[in-house]
Parts: sequence; C-alpha cells; structure tokens
Amino acid sequence: MATENLHRLVAARWQNSFTRLNQGQPGITGLLAFSEAWTLATDFLHPCDLADLESRKRFDMNKVRSSTEILSKSKMLPLLLENFLEDMRKNQHLITRDVEAFMARYEETADPQYISQLVFRLCEWYSAWCPIPELGQTILHAYMLNFQTHVFSVLPPSFSNGFKDLVSRTFDISRSSTPPPWLNVPSVFQTPDNPSRADYALWAAFEQLGLLERYESLISSVCYEYIESHILETCTGKWDEQMLKPLRDWMTDNIVPWMLMPYARGAKSANEARSMLQGVGSRFDFHVCKTLSDLRTREIFDIIVDYPDSVPALQDLKECLQRVDQRAQLVQTLRKANRKRLLHPGADTKDILTQYVSIIRCLRIVDPPGVLLFKVADPIRKYLRERSDTIRCIVASLVGDGESGDSLVDENEPIQPLQQMQVEDYTDPSWEPEPIDAGPDFRTNKPSDVISTLVSIYDSKDLFVKELQVLLAQRLLAITDGNFERERRNIEILKIRFGEAALQVCEVMLRDMTDSKRIDQHVQSQQDLPLQATIISRHFWPPLQAGNFVMPGQFKEIQDEYAKEFNAFKPDKKLRWLPHLGTITLDVVLKDRTINACVPPLDAAFLELFSTKDRWTVDELIAAVGSVDRTAALKALSTWVDIGILKEEEDNQYRLLEVAEAESDIVHKPPPTRPVPAAEEVPTALTVQQQQAEQMRVFWKFIEGMLTNLGALSLDRIQTMLKIAPNYNRTIEQLAAFMEAARREGLVTVKDGMWKLNRQ
Amino acid sequence: MKIMVREWHAIAQWRWDTGAADVDDDGEGDVCGICRVPYEGCCPSCKMPGDDCPLIWGECSHVFHMHCLLQWIGTAASKQQCPMDRRPWVTAERKVNATTGR
Repeated sequence: MATENLHRLVAARWQNSFTRLNQGQPGITGLLAFSEAWTLATDFLHPCDLADLESRKRFDMNKVRSSTEILSKSKMLPLLLENFLEDMRKNQHLITRDVEAFMARYEETADPQYISQLVFRLCEWYSAWCPIPELGQTILHAYMLNFQTHVFSVLPPSFSNGFKDLVSRTFDISRSSTPPPWLNVPSVFQTPDNPSRADYALWAAFEQLGLLERYESLISSVCYEYIESHILETCTGKWDEQMLKPLRDWMTDNIVPWMLMPYARGAKSANEARSMLQGVGSRFDFHVCKTLSDLRTREIFDIIVDYPDSVPALQDLKECLQRVDQRAQLVQTLRKANRKRLLHPGADTKDILTQYVSIIRCLRIVDPPGVLLFKVADPIRKYLRERSDTIRCIVASLVGDGESGDSLVDENEPIQPLQQMQVEDYTDPSWEPEPIDAGPDFRTNKPSDVISTLVSIYDSKDLFVKELQVLLAQRLLAITDGNFERERRNIEILKIRFGEAALQVCEVMLRDMTDSKRIDQHVQSQQDLPLQATIISRHFWPPLQAGNFVMPGQFKEIQDEYAKEFNAFKPDKKLRWLPHLGTITLDVVLKDRTINACVPPLDAAFLELFSTKDRWTVDELIAAVGSVDRTAALKALSTWVDIGILKEEEDNQYRLLEVAEAESDIVHKPPPTRPVPAAEEVPTALTVQQQQAEQMRVFWKFIEGMLTNLGALSLDRIQTMLKIAPNYNRTIEQLAAFMEAARREGLVTVKDGMWKLNRQ
Repeated sequence: MKIMVREWHAIAQWRWDTGAADVDDDGEGDVCGICRVPYEGCCPSCKMPGDDCPLIWGECSHVFHMHCLLQWIGTAASKQQCPMDRRPWVTAERKVNATTGR
C-alpha cells in the first residue's frame, strides 16, 4: 500500500515538474525549448578569458533575453546562478594570473601606475563576466559579491601600499582636466559625461570593484597625510600672519573638489553633495585645526621668544584650541621647554624675566581667563623666587636701565597702582565661575599689568622698595653733573605703582640732591672750590659702605674750607665726610709729564702722600690716612702703578716716578693727558643681602652667648630665643642658612640637629 | 710732583650740631627725647628731615625736634616745662650766638 502510495506521489511530482518545464506545451516541445534556452544562457554567461571577449558578442541578445525569460518562468534561475558561480570558480585563475602579473611589476618598480592598470584590468574582467541585468538583482548582487571576494582574496598585502600611493596621486590629477600620461585610462572608461575630471574614471573603477568601501579608512588617511604635509610645509616657522584662514581657503579650493569623487560621487545636486560631504568635511577641518595646533604647540617657546611679531600665530592657536582640546598638551610642552631652555643656571635672570613677561602676554592672547598662564607660570615663579638677583633685575627694569636695552615694561602700558589679590566679589552681576580646567589653587588672575604680576612673585613688596632704594642711592651718588631728572621721573612713576608712603625715603633722597645742588651753588658763590658735595640725610639712605680715613694734605684743606662755608650757610648743621665715596679728577704734574686721571678718593689720598715723600710702604700709607682695608689700599696703589706714576719695589715699598721709566713708557704708559677712568665702578651702597649679613652679625653675638651658657641647642630653640632679641625678624630658614655658614667657618658644629660652639 | 684738583665730587652727611661731642660716629646717633626718633630723622608729623623739621635747643641743654617740643608745650600737662628735667622751658640762644660769633 505504502509503496503504491509513494509511487503515486512521485509520479504526481514528476508530472508537475515536467509540466512546469514543458510550460504546458504539447508533447515535449516545451522541454526542448527549455533545454535550448538553458544551453544558450549558460553558454552566454560562461566566464571566458578576456582574449576571446568577442565570443559574447556573437550572441543574439534577443535570443538570450527570451531564453532567460523561459528559465525564469520555469523557476530555474537559482540553478542557473549556481551553475554560473561554479563556472566562475573554475575560471578564477585567469584573474589571479593578471593580478599577480601587475603586482609583480608594481613590487618591482613601486610605481602606482601599475596599480591603476590593474584596477582598470579588473574592471574589464568585471564587466566581461557580468550577467545581463535581465537576470535580476539577486544574480547581479551574488555575482558582485563573488567577484569581489575573489579579487580581495588574491590581492597581496603590498596592494594597500600601492593603492595608497595611487590615491595620493589623485590630488594632482583632480586638478587637471587631462589625465597624466601614466594614467592609461582604457577607452571603455573614458566617460564623456564628466570630462573636466581626469580622475573620474579611476574613482568610478574603484567604486565598481568595491575598493572605496574596503579601503575607506585608507583613503581618508591619505587625505589626512596630505593635509598634514601641506600644513607643515606652509606654516612651519611662519608666525607673522594668520594661517588658519588661508588653510581653510586651501581646503575649499583643493580638498573639497577632490572629496567630491570619493565621498559624494552619487550626488545629483550641489545641495545633496554638500550634505554628503558635511560629516567627512568637518572631520578634515578638525584635522586641520589639530595639525596646526600640534605644530604651534611644538613651536610655542620660539613663538613666545618672537613676541610681538608672532601674535598672528598665537591667534591661530587660540582659534584651533577652541576646536581641538589640546590645552593640557600645550601646557605640558611649554613647561617642558621652559624647564629645558629657560630655567637653568646658564640663563640670565633678565632673560628669564623677559621671557616670563612674554609668556604672560602670549598666553593672555591664547587664553584670556589665564588658566594656561597660571599652570605655566607657576614653575617660573618658583624658580625666580630662588634666584638671588631677581628683585634687582625687576627693579632695574622698573626704573628703565637705560643701557640694558629693552625694558620689561611696555612704554604704552598705563601706569597703575599695584594690584593686590582680590577677594572674589560674588555680588558682582558679571561674576563668572572659574574656568572648568582650573586647578585647585588657581587664583582668578584678573588681567593685571605686568609689573603687578612680577612683584607678586614675592609675598611682600617691601623687598622691592628696599632694593629700589639701594639702586637709587647708587645712581644718585654716581651723578656728577647734577642732572637727576630721570631719577625724579622714575620715582614719580613708581609712586603711582607702589604708593606714596613706600617711596617716602626715595623722596627724601631726591630732596637731598636738590638741596645739595643749592648749597653747592651757595658755597661756590662764596669761595671757588673744586669740591662739589652731595650732602645726604643719614637714616634715609641705605647703609653705605663703611670706611673711615682722613684725606691728607690739600684735600683735607679743601674739605675743611667747604665745611666752613657750609657751616656759615647752615649754622645748626655740620658736615661729616664720607671720604671713600665720590670721585676726584686731578692733574698730576710731574717733571716730564702731566697726567690727567679720574680716581676714587683713596687713590688720590695716597698720591697726595707721595708729594711729601718719594718712598712709602703700604703700612705707612695706611697709617697716614687712618683705617683702610689693606686690599683696598693695594688696589688704590695699583691704579697708579698701572698709570706709571708709582713703582712697586721690594718690601712693599712704592716709589714715585718723577721721571717716567723708559721701559714702562713703552709698555704701560697711556698717552699723557688722557683721562684714566676709575679702575672699577665701586658699588657704593650696600646691597640688601650685604645689609642682612651685617645685621646677622649682631645676632651672632646673641647666638654665641646662648650657646656658651646653655650648651647645645636645636635650631628651633635658637630661633625662639632670638625672637626675644629686638628687631629680629628672620625666618627659621634664614637662620639655618646662617648657622650653616657659621659651621663652614668653623665657629659651630652640629650633631643630631643640635648646634654647639666649636671650641678647639 | 704737584697735584692739581680739577673736580671733586664728594659725599657727606649732615648732622645737627647738638653740642655733644662727635663720639657716635657709627652709632644710630642721639634721639629726640619725646618721639625717640634720631635728631637727623624727622618727627612723626613730618616727612622731610633737616630744615623742614628743625631742632630746638633748651637752656637746660636738652634738645628736641621743634615740632615735638612745641606740641608738648602746647598741652596743659606740660606746665611749660622741659619734659626731661621739669625745669621751665627756655629756648636757648646758642644758635644765634653761633651765627653772630662767626
């Protein structure tokens, strides 16, 4: 039963299939027609070598079409496809052969033209084997997939390199209307519809083979590299104009047209193209900004050195940083560069300050809120605080050291009082919170002027005022022509900055100068003296160099004469000379020559002594004038020895050369009557450090006493006890430095932090 | 040898002639008994030392900043006495003597 049943079922099925194939034709004519169509279709689709491409053209397209119709009616298309794909697989070696041949040539020459040839060749294969569209989308799609799978599987790894090369060449090609000779576009691909683009055919071929999709990231990386190399080429070291706008113009003129091909080829209208390019376009724009900001970040130190010529570069950087978040990197790079190039012992304090000021100005352009500046400036400020001459440098630039070139202060900047740290005013309607990347100890650095920023390196401005007094004293005492208008002007300016009270002492100094001038005029009107005195008020000038000697001979007479006149003019006052300060211009008339010299008073005093006696020992000379440092004495004598008036002999004896010695004539003697400059500018006022050391000497007595009475003491203990002493205001660090100095001199020893007097 | 001084730029400090011997050359100097500021400094109400803030000599040999003393004399508690020795304050004439003596 079952067998019969089954038999009947099979028969019915067979009948059914037969009818389908026979298409309801009488007899087997339908079947015949079907098998004819099958043969024709498979023959037509058969993938053959490109060489006998002509064979396909033999077919009558009408017949082929009708036979595919028959096949599709009898639902045999899937079978046909299977058959076709099987045939393709069998003939794939033909393609493989071509690929290998071209790639071998490329690998030999590294010339991307072989890649382009290969691409075109593959396209030829593709279209040669392509089934006709009448067979439907499914078959076409399956064919494409199979073809691409095979091609990709046989392409060697070197192809991606070659492809990259080829794509990078398209930038040049896209700009010309005729393809370069090496780009051999086969006639089939020469499309008349877009003749303006020489690279059109190439891109069309890429798309057909699915290369665009597969190598999308490669293509964009080619574009990135192209943009990078262009930026490096045009912008490196070019800081005097803004580059971002020209770069964007360049993008519009060069990159956007090129982008049309790989990214917007299917666009029908300009609007459509624009929306297709939007995503990739903004990626490229971002890349432009990133590359430029990377470049400028690398160059930042030199850009700052070049300020203000490099302002356009900084504006570029600012714009780029708004798009690309590279702020942290900028800070890092600049800090590193500063550490390497600025903050080392080889750099002049003045240079560091100049660069610091430039950094302030530059980073204010890039980042007005000052977050970047704060991060970069911190190490510089710390470093400057450790340098001993920072204050002096700042002060020197404050008063505009004429000969030291450009001042730190911009002449055009309005002079304003120093700004103290402001407490945030939350009631201010325009208050803004701190920027988001501000550090925890960021202080809102309200745009203050440069001097305020520099002064704020130190906690108090007193140090500056003190240093300022020293500097002013040095300058005023060096003035001989009575013209101190410049100093007056400086002080007036500084008064605005530091406040009137802080500069009261300087005011007194200036008044002393004016008074001296008046007194001097009066004295000169009474009696014609070669002496011009600057009479100063003690307690208002910084401590001046100690030194106490008496001018001998005629100098003493002149001084007394002057003092007498002064006393007549100001009966309540008397003069006390500071003999070691000032300069004397004198003529030395000898038997055979006259020498004109401008020397410090001590030198003049010694020479005066020689007018009474021809031979003196150093000790005699020192005794004759009072208390003089021996080195100072020797130095004074060497002035005259150099000029050739004195001669050093044995036993520290010096002899006056009334007649010039023959050989010294030749060797040493400068042409007579030429003024000899003072051997060296003697710093007349004690520097702040020297003053501190001087004061510390007083405290040493206390320390010595307590160590004698109490034995070993810790540093803390010493500090606590010293605080009882009047005027003691040192920090424990200063005390430690002082004790360390004392230890080096062998005065004290330290063990386990306990200090002890060193008793031999 | 003969030395001819052409020009001499010298520096000097002025001192009040208080009559005391010049022993304190390097010290801080004498101070006004009222404000404890050195004579060569200025009294608390002045800014400029010297002629703008002169001294006043008493017959009792005490010397003060003039402004300090006048202020003191101006108070009722002073009873017109020298603050140092409580003798009636008489301004000394030595300044005038010194001028006429010349």
